[in-house]
This record gives sequence, structure tokens and C-alpha cells, in this order.
Amino acid sequence: MKPLLASLLLLLMAKPIISAADAVAELAAFSVFDKVDINALAKSDVKTEKVPPMSNARFLAVQSCYVTSGAPAKQIEALRQWNPSKHRELKIFLHSDLPRSPSTTDFSKLKNAPDNGSVRALVADTEKMSSDLQISREEAKKFSSGGEKGGGGAMPAPVAAFWAELLNARARSFASGGTSAQSPYDHTGEAIKPGDELNGLLKQQDKIRRQFSVFLGETGIGRGAGSLGPELYWELLDVDDKGVLTLGASYSRAGGAGTYQAADVLYYASGGYYVALTLYQMWPVSADGKPSTLVWRGDMISSASLASLHGVERLASEGAMMKDISKAVTAFRKDTGR
Amino acid sequence: MRIFSRLAFIRAAGTALFFVAVPIFAEETNSSFDWFKPFSSLSGEYTAEETYVSDADVRRGNRAIHNFDESDTILRFVLTPRVKIGVLRLGIEWEHFSFGFPDRTPLPNTLQEISAIIGLDMRLSDSILLRIESQPGFYGTNNFDFNQMNAPFIAGGTYIYNPNLQFILGVSVDVEREYPVIPAAGIRWKIARQWVINAVLPQPRLEYEATKNLTLYGGGNIKQTNFRVDDDFGNEHGKPALNHAVLTYSEARAGIGADWKIAPSLTLTAEAGYQPYRDFDFYRAEVRFHEDGSSPYGMISLHGAF
Repeated sequence: MKPLLASLLLLLMAKPIISAADAVAELAAFSVFDKVDINALAKSDVKTEKVPPMSNARFLAVQSCYVTSGAPAKQIEALRQWNPSKHRELKIFLHSDLPRSPSTTDFSKLKNAPDNGSVRALVADTEKMSSDLQISREEAKKFSSGGEKGGGGAMPAPVAAFWAELLNARARSFASGGTSAQSPYDHTGEAIKPGDELNGLLKQQDKIRRQFSVFLGETGIGRGAGSLGPELYWELLDVDDKGVLTLGASYSRAGGAGTYQAADVLYYASGGYYVALTLYQMWPVSADGKPSTLVWRGDMISSASLASLHGVERLASEGAMMKDISKAVTAFRKDTGR
Repeated sequence: MRIFSRLAFIRAAGTALFFVAVPIFAEETNSSFDWFKPFSSLSGEYTAEETYVSDADVRRGNRAIHNFDESDTILRFVLTPRVKIGVLRLGIEWEHFSFGFPDRTPLPNTLQEISAIIGLDMRLSDSILLRIESQPGFYGTNNFDFNQMNAPFIAGGTYIYNPNLQFILGVSVDVEREYPVIPAAGIRWKIARQWVINAVLPQPRLEYEATKNLTLYGGGNIKQTNFRVDDDFGNEHGKPALNHAVLTYSEARAGIGADWKIAPSLTLTAEAGYQPYRDFDFYRAEVRFHEDGSSPYGMISLHGAF
């Protein structure tokens, strides 16, 4: 037994760095990056590639990979700490983390929404209960334009109260029942369900779905509430010059040999897109003799607007998405000195 | 941790290729009935367009031709299958000009072309799109013959500075034209949520998105095509130099119009305005008739992509 015990102890004590060849092979097995030189990638910008077109015209996906210094655990922590809202080009007006069991007071920042064209467009859509709003019919019935007026910001109190109630209810239902518990966007006339959209995105990328199946099985993404606890947040941002309220959740989990998997899902949006999902796979590697992380990132989105794109329009949107992700990763690496 | 910057690209915006301007993110529509659903495995675009111009006059020296009308019919169908290097453009186009000239006018009363469309759209980088497209076919009058074959082509690129601003540069090549190579540049700029300056040839426009399914615009349409007339056209009109001659027909229209998106793959466009410029130029024979007073026109078009 002694040799076996010694071997196990050695295994446990071993540094959590897998061989670069193993990381590259695993990356090639499920992604569009079939050949990566880790040392070269460490010296270059993020590498971004489109994925083959999916059969659902609403879907678009892009994959990227890069090498960054430090171990995956540090990378996960840096992502957790990073505040992208200082980058004005992202047009995130409000961002707020949520507790696991939120209440309407967690959305009180809505009253401080900035007075700009995007927010005014959202307010106008809300006051007339426009069919552009991605809400359920039941949710639409709850809006009342009467009562308290004003609110100190661009968002009148009845509008802020409506959205606070709606976001709170959706965040709570996500926390307790995952994306499966999300109400459909049937007020738009289309019975789109966020959970179905997420499952559809993953179903059409089978290699990725298999790579993340165990991890995703522990989350609330595309299913009921998982065993992993999510980090919840909400945001008010700009999409197509309109204010959009969105709910998100992040998950991460350590794997074997120092690897990590992470996911970030936008499981609700009041407009602009139905859902969005980013998956991360991180491997500890050595680049030029320094402890580093090989990061694969997969971004996927479902949006009604995408369905109307054809031919060169689709090429352009893929390019724009790739460019956006490259910029974002570059900004993150710059901010975090990686 | 949160997703960052995944959404900047989704802003409704546009891109413009040389001689074509298209939205990156076309507007959503509530129209639930998609007439092209049965063809959902195919990707393509189509146009059926009719323009009527009335009360036109042209002049060459003392020779004036008064009060003729014009009908311009365009039918175009292009398949746009996705291939590894980009998007192929394979299709067919027929354009037919019919002029109501008085008898013994030394100009053909019909100009028409039927051509194949063979092109490719490519993405050279995240920010640069390239289109090359040729239209080999017959460019003639009432009857086609092999002497009327021509293959003009365009090559152009778009630099997507951001979703709201693109720059376009390109070149049009036609060996039958007096100046075979013509460069052009353009800009597409979304200046506000509902306003777009789409200064791209051949249809520069200022667009206003009145509703999700209705866009109003004011702008122009600049057309120029080379046609070869029949072998005995000159003999029949008392000017043998015009036998088998190349006629460059040019016109410019300026008007206002509306695009109504009836269904995801079907848009109805109606436009009306004036035609301030028209030119029939047998440039090699030095016979040229030019506009002698502008004329009103109306246009209606059904078009879309699927």
C-alpha cells in the first residue's frame, strides 16, 4: 500500500499545472481552435473566431482564446473583481449586485437612472406597454401608470416600481428555479422562453455542451436551480439606443489539475436580445516558463434582430461581435495588468 | 464576474458595401407571417421594381424630342449561400427601359440587359468587408445577340469604424464605358436613433425611421449602363455611324419615398420625385442627347431578403 499512498500524496502535492500539450489538445477537442501555440498566444492579442452558422437564425456565437499570466484561480478572481462600467463605450448606465434572495429595494437605483435618450425610450415603451417590451402578458397587466409621480430621475416612480417588481420576481424565480422558471416573453407576440433559448444555443454547439455538461448541470442555466450558488446582478444598459434592463448570473467551479470553468448568463432582458451566455474554460499552463492561464471563451447570443440578417449583414454582425469581444478582453487584460 | 461588452455589437446599425447599403442589424418586425418560411433553408434576396417617368424632353443641338415617357422595370433574384470564405452571390437580373419616343427618333425605344450575378462577399477582418461582383450578360436593345455581351464588375470595401459609422471605397469597371474605371467613396452614418445618412452610390439617402416597420427617406438614384444597339440601327435612323454602337444611358432621380416592411422578408417601397438629369450618349460616334427639362417620376418596388 505504501507506494500507492506515496503516489497519491505526490499527486495531491503536485503543482496544479497540466502540460501545455494536454491543454491544447483539450481545447482543440471542443472548440474551433484546433492548433494553438501557447507561447505565441501569450505574446499576442486575443484570438477570435466565428463558429459555423447555426440553424436558428436568432443565434450567433463567437469563440476566443488567449493566454494570461497567473493561475486560473487568480483569473477567476480578477474577473469577479473587474468593473467594466468605467469603460464608457459599454454604455452600462447602472450595475448592481444582488443577494441570493433579493427584494425590490435591491432595485432602488432605478430611481437614479440617468436622463438620456435611451432611458427615455425605455420609459416611453413602458408607459405605453409597447409590444417591444420583452415581458410576459401577466407581467404587463401589473403596470399602472397612476399613483405617485416623479422619482427624482429620468424614470417616473410608477415605471421604476413596475420594473423593480418585475426584476425582483424574475431574479427570485431564477434563484429558486433556474432559467426554466422564467416566464416567456409572450407580451411581444412571440412565445419566447429564455430557458429554451439557452438550451437551443447549447444544443447547436454540441461539443461545447458536452465539454460543460457536468458544470452546467450544477447551474440554473437552461434548467432548474442547480447546486452551485449563482452570483446575481442586474443592469441598465443601452442596446440599439434604447435602455434595456437585464438580469444576470455568474457561476464558476474548479476542476481537476487547477482548471476552472465559469459561466455568465443574461437570463432576462427587457429588449434588444433574448438571452446571452458566456462560457469560460481555463487551464493552468506555463508560457515562457511563467505560470499562466490558457483561457477559452465562448460567447453566444439569441436575438430577434439577428433573425432578420442575411448574407453580408450576417458577416458584418459576426465581425462586429468578434471586434467587441476582442476589445473587451483587451480592456480586461489591460485593466488587470495581464 | 459579469459578461462584458457582449452587447455593444447588437445595436441596430448598418454597414454599406460599395453600391449597396444594408443594415448590420435590420430592425425587428412584429409581422408574424413570413412568406418565405418554406425557403428558410435558402438565403437570398430579390427585387421587383417599376419606375414610370413622364413628360421628358431631351435635346441634341437643334434637335429636340419632347414629351416622351419612360418605363424602367427591374427583376432581380440572388441566392446568397454561405461558404467557408464568405457569402456567394449567384443570381440573375433583368432591367428593361422602354421609351415612348416619337417616330424616327434616332434613339432606341428599348434598352435592356439580362445578366447573371456572380459575386462574393468576404470579411477580410473584424472591421473590413469586401465585395466583388460581376454581371456578365447581354446589354442591348430589342433583340439580343452575342455581340452585345459585356461583363461589368464592381469591387469595393467597407470599413466598419463602429456600428454607427462606416466608410466605403470601391471601383466600378466597364470596358464599354467612356471611362472604364470609376472610383467612388461613401459614408453611412447613423447620426441619431432614427436618422441615418446613407451616402452610398447609387442610391444616397437620408433616412428617418418613423416606426419599426416604416422608414421615410429623401435621396437620389444614379443609374448608368452601357448598351450596344443593333447592327443596322444607324442605317435605319440615317446615321450609319450608329450601327452596332455603344450607347451609354445615364439618369439621375431625386425624390422622397417610404419603405414599409410588410413581413420579415417583404418590403414595399414607394417613391416619387423629379428626374433632373438624363443622357443618351453614343460617345464613340459623338452623338449625344441630354436632358432638356426635368420630369416627374414614380416608383414602386417589392424587395426583401430571406
